[in-house]
Amino acid sequence: MKLQGTKASLGLALSGVLLLAACTSPEATDSSAAGDASATATESMSEEMAGDAGSTCLQDVGITETQDGEVRYTAGPVDWSGYNSITADTYSTYNSVIAAHMFGSFVYFGTDGTICDNTEFGTYEVLSEDPLTVRYTIADDAAWSDGTPVTINDYLMDWAAQNPEFVAPGYASGEDPEASPVFNHVSTSLAQYVLEGPEGELGSKEFTITYTDPNPDYKINVTTALPEHVIAEQSGLEPGALAQAVLDRDADTVTSAADFWNEGWIFNPGELPDSSLMPSSGPYMVKEGGWQAGNSLTLTANDSYWGTPAGTRDLVFRFIDEAQQVQALGNSDVQVIQPQATVDTVGQLEALGSAVSMESGSSLTWEHLDFNHRENNVFGDPETGLTLREAFAYCVPRQQIVDTLIAPMAPDTVVMNAREVFPFQTEKYEEVTSASYDGRYDQVDIDMATQLVEESGVATPIEVRIGYGAGNQRRAETVAAIQASCGDAGFDVIDSSSDTFFSEELGNGDYEIALFAWAGSGQITSGENIYGTNKGQNFGAYSNETVDEAWATLVATLDEDVHLEQTKIIEKELWDTLFGIPLYAHPSIVAFDSTLSNVRATATQDQVSWNAPQWVAE
Amino acid sequence: MLKFIAKRLGISLAILVLGSLLLYVLVINSGDPLEDLRESNDPNRENRIRQRIENMGLNQPWYERYWDWLTGASKCLVGQCDLGTAVNGQSVNALVATAAASTLRLVVIASLAAIVIGVALGIITAIRQYSGFDYGVTLMAFMFFSLPVFWLGVLLKHYAAIEFNNWIVDAEFSWAVILGIAAVLAIVLQAAMGGDLKRRGITAGAMFGGVVAILFYFDMVTWFRHPALGIPVYILSVIGVAVLVIVMTSGFHNHRVRNAVAATAVVAIIGYVATRGFLMQGGSILLLLLLLVVAIGVAVAAGQLLGGFSRRQATFASIITSVLASLLAMADLLLSNWSQYLSEQPRPIPTIGSATPNYESTFWMMTIDALTHLVLPTVALMLISVASYTRYTRASMLDVLNQDYIRTARSKGISERKVITRHALRNSLIPLATIVAFDFAGLIGGAVITETVFGWQGMGNLFRTGLAAVDPAPVMAFYLVTGTAAVIMNMLADIAYAILDPRIAR
Repeated sequence: MKLQGTKASLGLALSGVLLLAACTSPEATDSSAAGDASATATESMSEEMAGDAGSTCLQDVGITETQDGEVRYTAGPVDWSGYNSITADTYSTYNSVIAAHMFGSFVYFGTDGTICDNTEFGTYEVLSEDPLTVRYTIADDAAWSDGTPVTINDYLMDWAAQNPEFVAPGYASGEDPEASPVFNHVSTSLAQYVLEGPEGELGSKEFTITYTDPNPDYKINVTTALPEHVIAEQSGLEPGALAQAVLDRDADTVTSAADFWNEGWIFNPGELPDSSLMPSSGPYMVKEGGWQAGNSLTLTANDSYWGTPAGTRDLVFRFIDEAQQVQALGNSDVQVIQPQATVDTVGQLEALGSAVSMESGSSLTWEHLDFNHRENNVFGDPETGLTLREAFAYCVPRQQIVDTLIAPMAPDTVVMNAREVFPFQTEKYEEVTSASYDGRYDQVDIDMATQLVEESGVATPIEVRIGYGAGNQRRAETVAAIQASCGDAGFDVIDSSSDTFFSEELGNGDYEIALFAWAGSGQITSGENIYGTNKGQNFGAYSNETVDEAWATLVATLDEDVHLEQTKIIEKELWDTLFGIPLYAHPSIVAFDSTLSNVRATATQDQVSWNAPQWVAE
Repeated sequence: MLKFIAKRLGISLAILVLGSLLLYVLVINSGDPLEDLRESNDPNRENRIRQRIENMGLNQPWYERYWDWLTGASKCLVGQCDLGTAVNGQSVNALVATAAASTLRLVVIASLAAIVIGVALGIITAIRQYSGFDYGVTLMAFMFFSLPVFWLGVLLKHYAAIEFNNWIVDAEFSWAVILGIAAVLAIVLQAAMGGDLKRRGITAGAMFGGVVAILFYFDMVTWFRHPALGIPVYILSVIGVAVLVIVMTSGFHNHRVRNAVAATAVVAIIGYVATRGFLMQGGSILLLLLLLVVAIGVAVAAGQLLGGFSRRQATFASIITSVLASLLAMADLLLSNWSQYLSEQPRPIPTIGSATPNYESTFWMMTIDALTHLVLPTVALMLISVASYTRYTRASMLDVLNQDYIRTARSKGISERKVITRHALRNSLIPLATIVAFDFAGLIGGAVITETVFGWQGMGNLFRTGLAAVDPAPVMAFYLVTGTAAVIMNMLADIAYAILDPRIAR
């Protein structure tokens, strides 16, 4: 999960000029393009995403062999920085979308965030719930593109690279704040929760993972691994020797691989090493000579891939700034884009005519207003706070905000009435909202709000500072809409955007209401950190026993029915005590060359290229 | 002089070091390097924050971080720069090298073209002061100067890339377009040539007719899909160039210069006719440079042998002729390969990037590919800097034309051409030396917006992304390169000034 707010505002602040470009370009394109172009083929992805969970995973599109040619995509302006995209330095969306096709994984995210199994790569089953033990079986024919089988060795190395106790004492557990990591790995979760590491024989296709605590998110803890044999060879060892050293808890040998692991796979711009250094366990691999610094990176089909082959031979990633993507698509410099969803972008894309198809939909990022529950705050007052929060909820024009700010680019967007589930996860959403929310804040009710404010006895006008990261136009307009509506109820709403909102005001509680967005990652338990008493992401100092208990029950089991039940309890309590007010899921736009088939938008952060191996030109 | 240079260098170095301290402190205080992670709800969040603090040295006091950078950077003095690592783990040395190469490729052609065109326009407008042409150019200069480059970029992409690529499929002109282009060119040319009404009318009429005929011809043979100059047109063009050079330098009556230039032109024509077939097969940058050196060698020889008393002028004119003839030959070779390129890349002008990914072809195809990627950003950069060069040259030229020695020269009965080329032009270019030097120093800093709009990851981009991530290493590397360039160029400008204008040295 990530707060998208500042990222967007940072982008705005830094390239304000460039965003202006997006506003002005219709002047340039409209006159000539609109005349001869028929309307852009537009479809809605919400229909597609409805239905049972299975349909949100990859579907069989009948690809049996790779066809020659290339498809070109851009994920953004940032250049590729190397084969190892899980160092703390190189970990980024831009690198991840590329790595996703070079490394096989047991699981992947479906279009609505569902965790799907990749049985071509391997399978897993829960052997016991207490302690949580999971057995992983890698497919027999799963092998790196250089022929070395994918085995437990790779996963042993991955575990060791997360700095477990024997490698970096006290680091992963956090017991020793002075401890420094040996490997520059982005994650420590396996080292933290799986003390014994993957268990199994050296070179085996099977291993088990035993967790110290129950972990509902176990599915996304073991996913991909880097090739152990390459790390070993580059560190002057025999293939397998590193895995053996991990089994033997031989810290010195394992540590000797750190130099290569940390830096060996970060390349100078445009300089690719020998391809034997970058084997692939996925449908694509880095094409030889396929990296032009700052311009493009090309992946080419991995001919020795054992599973469904890539649809098109070459997959080209161009590095193009958001504001320039539509014109690049119009000129066929790229064939698929996922630009920032703005009204201007939609207009420009529509002007491109039927040669370009556009899908608009929602992403897993959602916008919300969070109250400040600190006791010295007007909304956190133990006596009158709840009444005022209710009054405020009655006057926030949620429907109007969605209709004016979001619907023009994503017509199917609805007001969001939940926090842990999204409207496009239809069934689950219906079930959760019907149990937790009675629809009382759907319509603005100024009389009710005024009455509640009077009831609270707090002198009006009540000053309400809505804080958000500066430079975000949509949020400014949201605040303006609230200002207009809530003013009548006795609230003096103040737009208090700030450059330092996320680093200072939000943490210090220097606001009445915080306006920002969370980006969902498909994790089940991440909400505990937001709504639990004294948790790291609970910026508004909210505290509620029922919620805490429900989270405790939720994280202690793998039972999905229990998860759903507890989610209902949590959502209901969050509505009843008004933790905050959810607004809408962020819109997202995908546009592509109409001659491409199987391009499918996703709500997750994996971007539309999540199923790029299925893209084929007609 | 040496003492002067040493003193200047010493002061400059001190300024660079002080500036680096200031910039370093400003950069690391310009924001929160952990901002993106602070707001993350990733399960890895804590770990990522710890790792980044460790890798960026955020737990060290600022002076230690600065000292670390300074010791690494000071190794540049012994040729072993260590500019640190960027926040994404890449070596800044490598990043700067690629960024600088990319920026240089982007800006060199644009600046050279801007200087040539800007100076030429400046001189013509000064000579035709207060004419329609002067007003027209002044208007255009102000317009282009104030055009926001991102907007210009969007316009160019739409009309010169997307629409052009749609058009090139058939490459057909409508009559309206032909007549329109011809009319515009006719009006511009008559305004530039000047003269009385009759002369202007003849100029405009000839231009109009000529352009209509040429465009009609181009349309009929779809020339834009199969262009070529061909040997006959090449020969005519080289003769034209030679005549122009002679007129601009000495005039026809100086037979020494005339013979030298004519000899150069003849050798150029024979040389190109002989090597064209071979060059069409393929080439390399090395081969082309070698040929250019040979061409200049021939020109120098012709100037020295035939120049006689006017040796210097003859050599100079011959070199100009020979370089222009080489450029014409290059243009002919590129044009002749254009149709082949079109068949390989049906949409030739890209809106973005520096090369077509994975494009493998002959040398000429690759050269055309590089040029098609350069054309839009070059035009955007050029239109804007042409404006300032035009204005500077015009002002400087007018200044010189009002000097006493010009009046004296005129009263001596020297022809107006000589007055302008020999007395006015040269002296008016002296102040430009400073501006050009400064501009070149600024160029290496990249063109932040142009780079972003056209997807070139050059120096400007390095600076921008470094600053956005509150990552001092790339920003300081940018400072080091641009600062050093500014210091060196500034000094070169001073020295050049002293050489060009002996009054300064005294």
